[in-house]
Amino acid sequence: MSAPAIRCAGLGKSFGGAAVLRDLSLTVGHGELLGLVGPNGAGKSTLLRLLLGLVSRDAGELSVLGLDPARDAVAIAARTGYLPGETGVYLQMTGAQFLAFCRGFHPRRDDARERRLADAFALPLAGKVRSYSAGMKQKLALLATLAPDLDLYLLDEPDRALDASMRMTLRDELRAMKAAGKTIVLSSHHLFEIESLADRLVFFWQGALLAADDVAAARARLRRRPRLRLQPGASLPAGARELRREPDDTLVVETDGDPMAWLRSVPDGVVEGAEIGVPRLDDLYDALFADLGKAGSR
Amino acid sequence: MIAGKTWREVRWMALAYLLILEALCAPVLLLWPDIYEDLQRSTLFKNLGIDFAKRILQGVTDKDEQIAYTNWAAVMLLFRSTNLVCVAAAVLFGTGLFARERENQTFEFLLSRPISRGAILWQKSWPTALCLLLPIFLVNLSAMHWSRQIDLELPLVELLLCSLHASMFVLCFLAGTTWLSVLMRTQAHVAAGIGAFAILQIGVYLTQRLRPYSLFRLADFEWYGPLLNGNVSVRQMFDPSAGPGYTTWLLLATAALYTLAYRALRQATP
Repeated sequence: MSAPAIRCAGLGKSFGGAAVLRDLSLTVGHGELLGLVGPNGAGKSTLLRLLLGLVSRDAGELSVLGLDPARDAVAIAARTGYLPGETGVYLQMTGAQFLAFCRGFHPRRDDARERRLADAFALPLAGKVRSYSAGMKQKLALLATLAPDLDLYLLDEPDRALDASMRMTLRDELRAMKAAGKTIVLSSHHLFEIESLADRLVFFWQGALLAADDVAAARARLRRRPRLRLQPGASLPAGARELRREPDDTLVVETDGDPMAWLRSVPDGVVEGAEIGVPRLDDLYDALFADLGKAGSR
Repeated sequence: MIAGKTWREVRWMALAYLLILEALCAPVLLLWPDIYEDLQRSTLFKNLGIDFAKRILQGVTDKDEQIAYTNWAAVMLLFRSTNLVCVAAAVLFGTGLFARERENQTFEFLLSRPISRGAILWQKSWPTALCLLLPIFLVNLSAMHWSRQIDLELPLVELLLCSLHASMFVLCFLAGTTWLSVLMRTQAHVAAGIGAFAILQIGVYLTQRLRPYSLFRLADFEWYGPLLNGNVSVRQMFDPSAGPGYTTWLLLATAALYTLAYRALRQATP
């Protein structure tokens, strides 16, 4: 059996005495698409940087494509496409010049993928990057990162600044890459989208991975927390209690039992709309921290 | 790739810098006959209390016009232009090398390319150094042409040696600026740091008893004058045991500063 694409054991990293990653152990197989989920500052970007050797680890073992990032950072970078969390594009270049500049580092391309993405993104490549909007800069960085034919792709919030339709294009492309056997690790704040794409999600909190059991328990709690919009003048029927009211008057409630059964029992003309079992990242974290007794430290 | 990108970033600045250097060179040489006359008539400077200024004036008022003119060229082309324009250009070119990457949020992108950090430093440094040093040689060599217009000469070999020394002096500043550019997060901080250092060094140079401790002592008239007049051998330029050996000290300082820049870049985090 071949070695995993990524293997880290007991990984630790601190900046100025503050632990950013604590005893992190993780394995990613070849051809797997792993989603990293967590609030800002949870350690996702630091993990990606460690994988590429951009920062050095303080503790633990790390292997990427069978190589040690501390010693073989250049060899790993030659086989890895990396999209940093901050969109790194040269403003003084045109879009075409930037792509040509990037092509010099990774000459082996997937021409079909590059064409598909270029068509979908429809960037004015003859124009200076300085004139691009934030979304266009992100598209350009994505095009430069995904066009090369590489073994591993590390994408830090690739859907940042993209509109819904572009996020769907990106999702389709990542699916195609996964089907082609590429290993992809990506972080995102769009839980629903990353969940529909990734083979596996790992949840970060304060530099450590949350246990799968904790996440499952939080999800179970969330399934009993539908989001409702009531008809004007209607009050919340018995069997559920209000947890909070959103600015648009959407209610987040908790039902005593199965929310579907409760909803079926609600008389007609009370509920205008309901959303059940679609956890939002904020909600999931609220539930996780409540379960773990961490809500106060957020 | 990175070298090409660096070249595209500095080429127009380099052209402007070359033109400024040339604009400072030609007139002061072509006006020399009138200036020599004025200087010989003037008695104001003979009682100057500042010793280095007095020595400059003694040099440029020498009774042998060829010697006086050579000294004038040493003051104007080398002491003035190198220390003002070339050092300013070194700071201008050097501040952006890495600090601009941080400001534009491209530093992480750059470090994540499949190229070693030593190669990044090299590919950013050599086009910058070339753009900075080549104009020094070109403008100093053009001085030979301007000199012939007024029926005087500047010696080729000595001019090349002076240009070499001036280049090492400027390269030393570029290396220091590059080091700070790796360490600091903004170009303004780099410019402030190196600017403060240069001002301090000028202040020390202008203080009578402290002058030998100023970096500018390595590139002043008292070095360029004898060098351009052929009174300093190549061995004395490079061998501290056989003379001042200033050029060797500059080489060593440049190497040390680039080593520091390399170490800082190796340890740099996005």
